[in-house]
Amino acid sequence: MEVVRVEGLGKTYPGGTKALEGVSFSIDRGEIFCLLGRNGAGKTTLLRILATQLKPTVGRASVLGHDVLTDPRAIRPHIAVVPQEARPQMLLSPYDHIFYMCLIRGRSRADAKERTRKVMDDLGLWEHRDKLAADLSGGLRQRLIIAMAMVADPEVLFLDEPTIGLDPLGRRSVWAMLRGLTKKGATILLTTHYLDEAEVLADHLLIVDKGRTAFLGTVDEAKGDTGVGMRVIMEPAAGNGPAAPEVLEPKSSEEILAIVERGLREKRKVTFKPASLEDAFIKIVGGSIEVENT
Amino acid sequence: MYIGLFDALPLLRDPMLLVVISLFSFLPVIFIFVFADQASAVQSLIGAIVLTFSFTGLFASQSVFFNKQWFRFQDMFVASKVSPASYALGLSLSGLVVALPGVVVALVLLVLSGTSSATGVVLLLGTSILLWIGLVFVGFAIGATTKNARRANSIPQVLSIALGFLPPVYYPLSRLPAIAQPIAMLIPTTHAAQLAKYYFGLISIPASEVAIGWAYLIGFAALMGFIASRRAHWVDP
Repeated sequence: MEVVRVEGLGKTYPGGTKALEGVSFSIDRGEIFCLLGRNGAGKTTLLRILATQLKPTVGRASVLGHDVLTDPRAIRPHIAVVPQEARPQMLLSPYDHIFYMCLIRGRSRADAKERTRKVMDDLGLWEHRDKLAADLSGGLRQRLIIAMAMVADPEVLFLDEPTIGLDPLGRRSVWAMLRGLTKKGATILLTTHYLDEAEVLADHLLIVDKGRTAFLGTVDEAKGDTGVGMRVIMEPAAGNGPAAPEVLEPKSSEEILAIVERGLREKRKVTFKPASLEDAFIKIVGGSIEVENT
Repeated sequence: MYIGLFDALPLLRDPMLLVVISLFSFLPVIFIFVFADQASAVQSLIGAIVLTFSFTGLFASQSVFFNKQWFRFQDMFVASKVSPASYALGLSLSGLVVALPGVVVALVLLVLSGTSSATGVVLLLGTSILLWIGLVFVGFAIGATTKNARRANSIPQVLSIALGFLPPVYYPLSRLPAIAQPIAMLIPTTHAAQLAKYYFGLISIPASEVAIGWAYLIGFAALMGFIASRRAHWVDP
C-alpha cells in the first residue's frame, strides 16, 4: 500500500533559490526510504515538505492519502519528525523531554508515564533519565531527540540526518530500532550522509543532485545501473617504495583470474572489494558525498 | 498548556533562578522605597507590575526563536496534532507562569499599602494584560525574524530598557521635562502605567486621556498582531 506519493514536486524559496525540481516517487508501507545527496541538494527541503512544514511551489505530494498542502491536519497526528540539528533543552532531563512530549502529543499522564518508560528503555536512555541533557554525550543527546519523535508511535517517521554524532554502536541500535518499527508497519523516510547507513537500511533510495532526481531505485539497482562492479586493489610490490596501489575493475571471471595470477607472480598483496554504494554515488553524482560537506 | 509548561520548565525546575527572574522588575522599587516616600514606592510598584507583564510578553521572542531555530522543537510540534494557536498560546503563557509569583507578591504589597481597591486591581491587571498581548506579538515578530542566537538574546533586552526602564513607568510622567513628555507618550508602557496609576488614584488625568490610553493599547495590540501574523509562520512559505 502506497503511503507517500510525490509527483513533479518543486520548491523555489521566496528569495528565488530553486531547491527542488520535478521530483517524483512513491513509498510503500513498511519501507525505509533513504534520501541521499550532497549538502544543499534538496534533501531537507523534500523531507520538510512531506512533513507538512514547508509549502511546495509546484507539483503534488500526499502522505497517507492526504495532500500535504490542502489537508495537512489529517496527516500530522500520524507522523513524527526528527529535525536536522535538533538539540535538547540543556537544563532539562531526558525524562522531562520525553514525558512532556507525550503530554503535548495528547497522551494522558498515566499513558505518558508508561510510554516514556517504554521509549527510554528501547533507546537505552532509562539509566540517564534524571541527568541534565547538558551532561549527556552527543550520542545520547541525539538518541533523546529520536526518542522525542518516537513517543508518537508514528505511522510515518521522517528523520533528517538522525545518526549524526552517534558512535557505531549507537548507530546500530538506531538502525535496529528503525527496522523494528518497519516490522510493525511504520514507514520511514530518512536523509543521511552515511552511505553505509543507506546501504544497510534502504529498501529504496532517491539520490538528489541540485534539486533533481539523479537516481531512484534500490541499492542493488544503483550499483548495477551505474556499472559499478568489484574493485581489486593491488599493493605495490615489496621494495618499490611508497608507490600508489593499483585499482582495477575486472569485468569478467577471466579478468579476475588473470589479476590473481599476476599478484601471485609479482608477489603483490591483492584485495578484493565488492562494489559499494559510495562507488555508485560517485558515479551518479560525479563526486564523493564528503567533498561537498567539507 | 503543556507546551507552555515545557517551555517554562527549565526555570520551574530551578527555584532560585525563578525567584530572581520573577522579582527582576521589582528591584528598582526597593531603591525608590528607600530613597523616596511611600507614595512614590507604591507608584513604582504599580509600574513594576505593568513591566513584569510587558517583559514576559517581549521575551516570548526568545521562546519563539529557540524553539524554532535552536532546539527545532517547533518542527516536531508542526508534525503532530498540536495546533498553531495552542503553540502560540503555550509559548506566550510560559513567561507568565514564571512571572506570576512576583506579581502575586506585588499585589499583596499593594493591598497591604492600603491604596488599592478591587476595581483598581482589576483595571491594573486589565491594562497590563492588554499591553502584554501587544508585546507578545512584538516578541513573536522578533523571534520569527531573528536568524541568530546572539540577536535573539540582545534585542529583547535592549527593548526592555527602551520600553521599561527609560519611560515614566516606575516614576511619574511629570518628572520628565515638558519637551520629553510627548515622546514618552509614544511608548505603550507609558500608557499602561498612566492608566494603572490613574485607577489607583495616584495621578489625575482627563477622561479623554484615559480613552486615548485604552485606544492606544488596543490599537498597538492589533497592529502588532497584524505584523506578527505576517512574520511568524507555522508552515514555512
